[in-house]
Amino acid sequence: MSLATDGNLSMTDVAHERGSLAGRVMRHVALFLGVMLVWELASYYQFVDPLILPRPTAIAAALVNMVLYQGTVWFHLGVTLWEAVAGFVIGSAIGIGLAVAAGLNESFRRYISPYIIALQVTPRIALAPIVIAWLGFGMMPKIAIGALICFFPPFINTLTGLLNVDEDANEMFRSLGAKKRQIFFSLMLPNAMPIIMAGLKTAISLALIGAIVGEFISASEGMGVLMQRYTFALNMASSFAVLVILTAMGYVLFLLMEWADNWLVYWRHDARMTAISRKKAKAWAGVAGRR
Amino acid sequence: MNAIASHLVAASTSHIDPDIVISARDLVKAFNSEVVALDRASFDIRRGSFVSLVGPSGCGKSTLLRLVAGLIGKSAGELSVLGHGVTGPSHDVGMMFQRPTLLEWRTAVENVLLPTEVQGTTTDADRRRAIELLQLVGLRDFEFSFPRQLSGGMQQRVALARLLQTGANILLLDEPFGALDEFTRERLNLELLRIVDDVEATVLFVTHNISEAIFLADQVMVMTPRPGRLAKIVDVPFERPREIALMQTPEFNSLVGEVRSILGGH
Repeated sequence: MSLATDGNLSMTDVAHERGSLAGRVMRHVALFLGVMLVWELASYYQFVDPLILPRPTAIAAALVNMVLYQGTVWFHLGVTLWEAVAGFVIGSAIGIGLAVAAGLNESFRRYISPYIIALQVTPRIALAPIVIAWLGFGMMPKIAIGALICFFPPFINTLTGLLNVDEDANEMFRSLGAKKRQIFFSLMLPNAMPIIMAGLKTAISLALIGAIVGEFISASEGMGVLMQRYTFALNMASSFAVLVILTAMGYVLFLLMEWADNWLVYWRHDARMTAISRKKAKAWAGVAGRR
Repeated sequence: MNAIASHLVAASTSHIDPDIVISARDLVKAFNSEVVALDRASFDIRRGSFVSLVGPSGCGKSTLLRLVAGLIGKSAGELSVLGHGVTGPSHDVGMMFQRPTLLEWRTAVENVLLPTEVQGTTTDADRRRAIELLQLVGLRDFEFSFPRQLSGGMQQRVALARLLQTGANILLLDEPFGALDEFTRERLNLELLRIVDDVEATVLFVTHNISEAIFLADQVMVMTPRPGRLAKIVDVPFERPREIALMQTPEFNSLVGEVRSILGGH
């Protein structure tokens, strides 16, 4: 179950129990503002050193300044986004590709699994300096690090999904005289789709982590660089503003994945399923001879 | 397949009785060359008959069904369907399982069309037939529902329509309604009788319920476990169409008693 669906459920279901939707939203906003106010006052009256934990208003001001007036943040954001997405696409493609090969061929699965396990138990982020030594200082090493970190969830999820096919369904296909290719495309792959998508959702956040860590190690552009510059200059409000932007970016990527999941795995989403059911009824009207 | 077995298959095709659709002689299935799942079963099944296989778990009834379906290979003996030795799945034979095994990403009618798709291209005639079959199994207005939107009984009806869509004349049913509640099961059994009568199919029906086995069938193959053996073939003399009330008659109950006593020795 995804975070976003859970959020939707609580927004609608609980609303019936505890007052209107507007009331619920108001309470969330009030709680958020309350926490911000306590933080603001704690910082203002020097309970915490504002140099370490800047005031929310200072962060907001830095954010506005960064986004509206300086403008260079867009460039850095673009670099990091590109690195993360490219790392995600490459890592996922490798992960899914290897999993499909391993899922279809048992001896390939046997030979490859020790290496996959070794790579999984290695803290792969530790490979980052090596990758940078190999690939230099541009975007390539960050993409490679992202791909390296994120390939495992799509791999293991795809493999699990492909192998967890219901034995009866498999026999049913065989009793129909289905070829291996038909069983793969009509049964194994769609059956694995929900868990593959779950793996991809994890992978996109990992690719973003890979890109940022790569930038920390050695880079001249990207959000990681921006973050380090501000922190080393003790401009903490701007550091936090960078963090807020990264959170927003992570959330947008997450929403995109949720949207893709809704489209590709429509049979697990009630609203989409009902809509498709209705659409198909319409498309079949000529054949069915009614409706 | 070993040389002796293929020799026996060749021999079996020499005496074809056109009325016998499934024929087995000393059919053996052993797993890992030790566990004997089915031990020397011999039987003939006539065209258009409804045959129940009844027995406790481990008696080899599912094994027998899978052998006939061509899903597993025999260890020894002869087995022929429509006069030909079984070498693999055939379009003349269709199978249905205890669980509906529907594809949850396909609508009911798309699930019914799966056999057609597997065999080649789908025409509008196929689509019309799929819709008709769904109506035949009582699912008018549910053609475009997804499996998750259907009850267990309705899902099994879709599976039955899919089985009929194969066009197979020999239907192998492995406890098809075993997972459903008593009432649904009884109703679906009656509908099954009506439908197979309609399409003039030969049916092999696996169950562990003695009354159900007798009520549905022309013949009951009684099987006993460890090793799986065909203990006896009991003829069921009751007229068709049958009503549920048949199950209250003394004749019916004495037949139940007979089958039970065959099974009781084990």
